[in-house]
Amino acid sequence: MLRYIGQRFLQYLLIIFIANSLTFLLPRIIPGDPIQEALQTKAAAAGHQNVDIQAWVAEYNAKFGLDQPLWKQYLNYWGNMLRLDFGYSLFDFPATVMSKITAAIPWTLGFMTMAIIIAFVVGTILGALLAWPNSPRFLQGAVPLLMVISAIPFYLFGLALIFIFGVELHILPTGGGADPTLIMRWDWNTLGNILQHAILPAFALVLYGIGSWALGMRATLVTVLGEDYITFAQAKGLPDRQVFTRYGVRNALLPQVTGLAISFGLILGSGVLIESIFNYPGIGSLIFAAINSKDYFVINGTVAIMVFTASTALLIVDLIYPLIDPRIRFGK
Amino acid sequence: MASQKRGLLRDPRINPSLIFGVVVIILMILVGIVGPMLLNEKLARVGAVEPNMPPSAQNVFGTDSQGRDVFTTLIMAIPPTLRVGVIAGVISVSLGLALGLIAGFFGGWADSLIRTFSDVLMAIPSLAFMILVVARMDRPNILVVAVIVGFLTWSGTARGIRSMVLSIRERSYTAVARANGETEVEVLFREVMPNLLPLMLASFIGAVTMGIYTVMALEVLGLGSNVIPTLGMMIFWSQRFSAVLRGMYWWWSPPIVVIALIFIGLFFLSFGLDRFINPAIPIKRGRSRIKLPTQPTAPDTAIDPRDAIMEVRNLRVVYETPAGLVKAVDDVSFSLRPGERMGLIGESGSGKTTMATAMMRLSRPPAYVAGGRVLLEGRDLFNIPDRELNKLRLKEIALMPQAAMNSLNPVVRVGPQFKDAIVAHLGRLPDNQLNEMVAQALTKVGLKPDVARNFPHQLSGGMKQRVVMAIATILNPKVIIADEPTSALDVVVQQQVMQTLGRLQKELAAAVILIGHDMGLITQFADTIGVLYAGKLVERGDVQTVLDNPLHPYSRLLIDSLPTLDGKHDLVGIPGLPPELLHLPNGCAFHPRCPFAMERCRTETPVLQTPLAGRQVSCHLYPEHTQLPPLTIGIDSSSAVIEVASSMGA
Repeated sequence: MLRYIGQRFLQYLLIIFIANSLTFLLPRIIPGDPIQEALQTKAAAAGHQNVDIQAWVAEYNAKFGLDQPLWKQYLNYWGNMLRLDFGYSLFDFPATVMSKITAAIPWTLGFMTMAIIIAFVVGTILGALLAWPNSPRFLQGAVPLLMVISAIPFYLFGLALIFIFGVELHILPTGGGADPTLIMRWDWNTLGNILQHAILPAFALVLYGIGSWALGMRATLVTVLGEDYITFAQAKGLPDRQVFTRYGVRNALLPQVTGLAISFGLILGSGVLIESIFNYPGIGSLIFAAINSKDYFVINGTVAIMVFTASTALLIVDLIYPLIDPRIRFGK
Repeated sequence: MASQKRGLLRDPRINPSLIFGVVVIILMILVGIVGPMLLNEKLARVGAVEPNMPPSAQNVFGTDSQGRDVFTTLIMAIPPTLRVGVIAGVISVSLGLALGLIAGFFGGWADSLIRTFSDVLMAIPSLAFMILVVARMDRPNILVVAVIVGFLTWSGTARGIRSMVLSIRERSYTAVARANGETEVEVLFREVMPNLLPLMLASFIGAVTMGIYTVMALEVLGLGSNVIPTLGMMIFWSQRFSAVLRGMYWWWSPPIVVIALIFIGLFFLSFGLDRFINPAIPIKRGRSRIKLPTQPTAPDTAIDPRDAIMEVRNLRVVYETPAGLVKAVDDVSFSLRPGERMGLIGESGSGKTTMATAMMRLSRPPAYVAGGRVLLEGRDLFNIPDRELNKLRLKEIALMPQAAMNSLNPVVRVGPQFKDAIVAHLGRLPDNQLNEMVAQALTKVGLKPDVARNFPHQLSGGMKQRVVMAIATILNPKVIIADEPTSALDVVVQQQVMQTLGRLQKELAAAVILIGHDMGLITQFADTIGVLYAGKLVERGDVQTVLDNPLHPYSRLLIDSLPTLDGKHDLVGIPGLPPELLHLPNGCAFHPRCPFAMERCRTETPVLQTPLAGRQVSCHLYPEHTQLPPLTIGIDSSSAVIEVASSMGA
């Protein structure tokens, strides 16, 4: 057991090391000068057309260590990474990248967690019902529908949802995380307002998520129900329901739970599009704004955090897997 | 298989999902090719038409805020969008194929290196990574982006190809090819490649989807090229000019519909392709009973039903396959006395396991009970409600399934798997009483009581088999069906397991049906035997009389193939191969292999008859003869094959 953890941990360190090195290296071999572009954009935005951009760029490069040799930059990169220091926003200068990220993270975590959990629970139950031989026939008609839903890029639902509920019906806000006039306090009013704003973006994710969780659960469960231990359970004279839940669902849940853990690992990255569609003040909108203002340090820091959380989540999945699957718990 | 030469379109694996996906994608490609030829390309340029106009006769889908005709832009946007996907797909699949083949064929450090790298790629959220890379570019070029997506997404293909190469290399025909002196590379191209095609096609579709998805996502985020209209850029532009909020539905909704169609088409396509990669996915579910046209059947009274604990009458089980109905168990009748040890012997594919599961009413699609009755103390198991049947299972009639290795729930400890069975039949009992029962049952089969606390994977094969025996006998059933309880066990353990089974049978005074292909093992254990051939019971009688005086030519050959202790006679095999159930010979199914075959055997199916007291046989030699004539035709033992490797319907 300890050896397993140890091995996984070393493997994980290697993966995270290579992944982050790629994150450092690949953008630097792509031609382009983000600082210059950012400063040009900034200058244009401020109405200065003829400033000496080159001098300004050189000053910035020196300030952020971008004029140093690559290996030195690489070491700095790791140093900054370990201190969670991604420098300053180019566009919004005095603000640090980290302060922007920490301001955005709670929003993303809040509505994404809600959406993931609802989609997982509903989708898994639906998928289990679809695989149950005794479930009503009409449920089977839901399969093509679920396939359609899980095929469409989910942020497109967002546009349709805004149009239907926000523009046409006027019953839900069309974007943002809360009313601009709202004074944030710990009270029901604030909470209600925030929830109201989270409904539509979460709904788009839930719709898509239900489709893919249900299809996944159905496929696994159909395979599990063909296993010999199901036949033997039936031969023991157990009621169908018990065979289905204790022998079928219990085994089919393992890959579902793994999938759930992985979705939590990707939580920061997978909401990017839906947030930018809804102008929701999370990580997604942060990166969207940074892209469109060429704020490269913000992009860099945000992506680094995403890569870091995703690879960490993979490790955690590996480590918690033995808790839910006894076959691994006791070694091979 | 003889039925391989069929048109592609009649391949049973062709399914509605696949057809739907192909149709949608072909439609999109056609629109993408033909559309731009028919339309005036200039209308898709900024400022070509008056902006913000709702749909009209002139602009069918209206115009956008930058003065483009939405319909023209939409059609023009399809080809670049698809092209991006194809580029990503080609690169991803070529890389995946090359690296997968290298990993699969060479193994060793090349394999570990490739695996590590693919682990790394899987740990990187690809969209986030692409944002980082593309944001560096002065002017994003979607083709370059597509190339990078291709480089990021090969790992799934490589893994699939690698494991397929490994499994194909294990298969016998590759070994045969190698024995013929072909080199690895020749084998690769001649034998392995055709098997990889469906997988590669599915990977290609996957990578195309990923490519279009990623590029579109980047475009929606503002990392697209403002020059060429693509579907993603249309969404981005409509977002930038708040088309949704301004109620310009004609602008943002058409690209959404087209995007949705493309992704739906790709999704259904890959879903449908799955049938080619995993043909084992069940086609139909539910339990129904197929009625076969009536056929000559042995009379109901073929067996004296007096003091029988169980009777099987005219049992028929069929498999519904794309190639047609396969009669796996055909009109089998026999009865079982209380406490009788019956051996049921037959080659693989003779319907033994299919019959065992059917007797418990556990047949699963594609197997269906097509007729007959199984009477347990007079109750017809096929005609009682599920609830009542569940009460009889285990308590009256128990099954030890063939695959004892996989018959225990892998995520539940052994103890609870006894207890749920006890509780289902006897109701909630106090914990200590349950534990006591489990401990006793385990002791009876020669296991320590603390095995109850283990998970199945912690037990050896022999121990699992014993656990299954202990569960099957815990409620003292009157009939036990033991389906090859010793398969997959080594000889020493086989002997122990058979002894345990014998002891249990004596203690419980239960009737046992022991199913197997090992004549020696079965005759040692059984009082009576039944011989199955191609789904039919061809002979039935006491073990000793059958051994001394077999009536059916097949039984005779089976017995001759047994080694004797004194080793005086030559071992003789049975000429020919077991029949294919899909293409059974007319008349008696055994006639092509039978040394006594007559003209009548080729045309007329024999029925079970009783030529001697207590003996049944289904053969045209009777009742003219009273015993099997001496074998006159020499049998070439070198051509003899007794197939035992795989078992149909297992």
